[in-house]
Amino acid sequence: MTLIGRTRAVIQKRQVLWTLVVRDLRVRYSRSILGYVWTVLDPLLMSSIYFVVFVFIFKSGKVGQQPYFLFLIIGLLAWQWFAGSLTDTSRALLSDAKLVRSTNLPREIWVVRVVIAKGVEYVLSLPVLAAFTLFYAIKGQVHFNLGLLLFPLGLVMEFVLLIGVGLLLAPITALVTDMSRVIKIALRMLFYLTPVLYAGNRIPPPFDVVVWLNPMTGVLEMLRAGFFEQPVVRGPIIFSAVITVALLFIGAFTFSRLERAVLKEI
Amino acid sequence: MSAVISVDDLGIEFFRSRRRRMSMREMLFHGQSTHSTETFWALRNISFTVGEGEAVGLVGGNGGGKSTLLKMIAGVLLPDEGAVSVTQNVAPLIELTGGFVGELSARDNIYLQAGLHGMGKDEIDERFESIVEFAGPQVRAALDTPFRHFSSGMQVRLGFSVITALDEPIILVDEVLAVGDKVFREKCYKRMESLLEAGRTLFLVSHSEGELKRFSTRGLYLRAGRLAMDGTMADVLEQYNADAAEGSK
Repeated sequence: MTLIGRTRAVIQKRQVLWTLVVRDLRVRYSRSILGYVWTVLDPLLMSSIYFVVFVFIFKSGKVGQQPYFLFLIIGLLAWQWFAGSLTDTSRALLSDAKLVRSTNLPREIWVVRVVIAKGVEYVLSLPVLAAFTLFYAIKGQVHFNLGLLLFPLGLVMEFVLLIGVGLLLAPITALVTDMSRVIKIALRMLFYLTPVLYAGNRIPPPFDVVVWLNPMTGVLEMLRAGFFEQPVVRGPIIFSAVITVALLFIGAFTFSRLERAVLKEI
Repeated sequence: MSAVISVDDLGIEFFRSRRRRMSMREMLFHGQSTHSTETFWALRNISFTVGEGEAVGLVGGNGGGKSTLLKMIAGVLLPDEGAVSVTQNVAPLIELTGGFVGELSARDNIYLQAGLHGMGKDEIDERFESIVEFAGPQVRAALDTPFRHFSSGMQVRLGFSVITALDEPIILVDEVLAVGDKVFREKCYKRMESLLEAGRTLFLVSHSEGELKRFSTRGLYLRAGRLAMDGTMADVLEQYNADAAEGSK
């Protein structure tokens, strides 16, 4: 029940939260000339690279679903939000140590605000996704279906997942000095263990079910549900919903347990 | 007179070693973290209440727990024992420039900092002019330059100006009652006096006897983490000075 209380405390401070998010975005975009372009350039370039590698070099365009480029870009944009947010939330209490030490706000705000700022960046990159969808739709290669309704739900799930993981990792990183290195390596491994470049159903059983334990598998399944010919697999979605909620509880619990020690430390 | 700050049997425990931070590498290769687990109580069995409009000065030697106590009242440290309850909002003059971002202009920073302490946009609009006015003509001239180009004096002046404009009923001060050059310090004192006259509650940590006498009527004396004395400012200072004289013998 502390979870409800803490959520309410954060919502009460939504104005501050918004101020922080705007600050993040402003700092990010005022510092670079290309600004917004950077947000979309990275996933676009990476999609192109993977496309070339898999389609022209390995000649195996069937690792994902068709059209493969659209499949890639949905996955990579969502992954960018996931990886960027996880990297930053884990350092959230350290990088703003001065602010954490001088303002009496519900401490969860420092995690939530990173997830929101990265989420806004993700939403800003959606026009690129829309453009490619339109392009392939005109070519008649997109198979729109009711699964499209799962797209917003997928975003909500990723949001909750990121908050849960962020609440778990932020205090640990503040107390364990080399945690951010561990997270960096873990993220890189997780990237290949998540069906970003390939479709989940390409994994030979029984390992396909093991990948369901990764909550991002379900999130990607939901985001991609409405665009392709193959039917949605329900398993990973159910798995990730359960794991996401569990992680939120574990994260909130860990955060409240370690908060005291973190405040003494930073 | 109702109590606005009540501290009840407060205690907080710290690790003695500065190197408490753990590392994964150590935990993996040594099977445990090598940090020392020896602890000490920075503060213990502290109880007192502060009424509305009181001006309290906190004295004590270095490491006596003054800043720690102030931070717990500000809510930025959590006690291990007992409880602090503060019934009104607090304007903390603790880390004055902590919330400022070097890349953003002074103007953006004022909105950001005041916003972080709970002021709405309209309120800031309303007080913007007086905040800049108080910070001085140098700051006004540089309003649209990035904050990191400010001299350190200008930075603390702006910080002080924003926090004291917050208009919160309780003011907590950690050794930064006055900042900047001589002229500006006098301005800080004047503002503090006018705030006190307006009925604010002040909780002041300072080593300056002059400041303590000028602003506080009641004194609290912390010695080695215990509350050694609670009385009028003059009596407390007398006791503190007597102890100090004894210690230097």
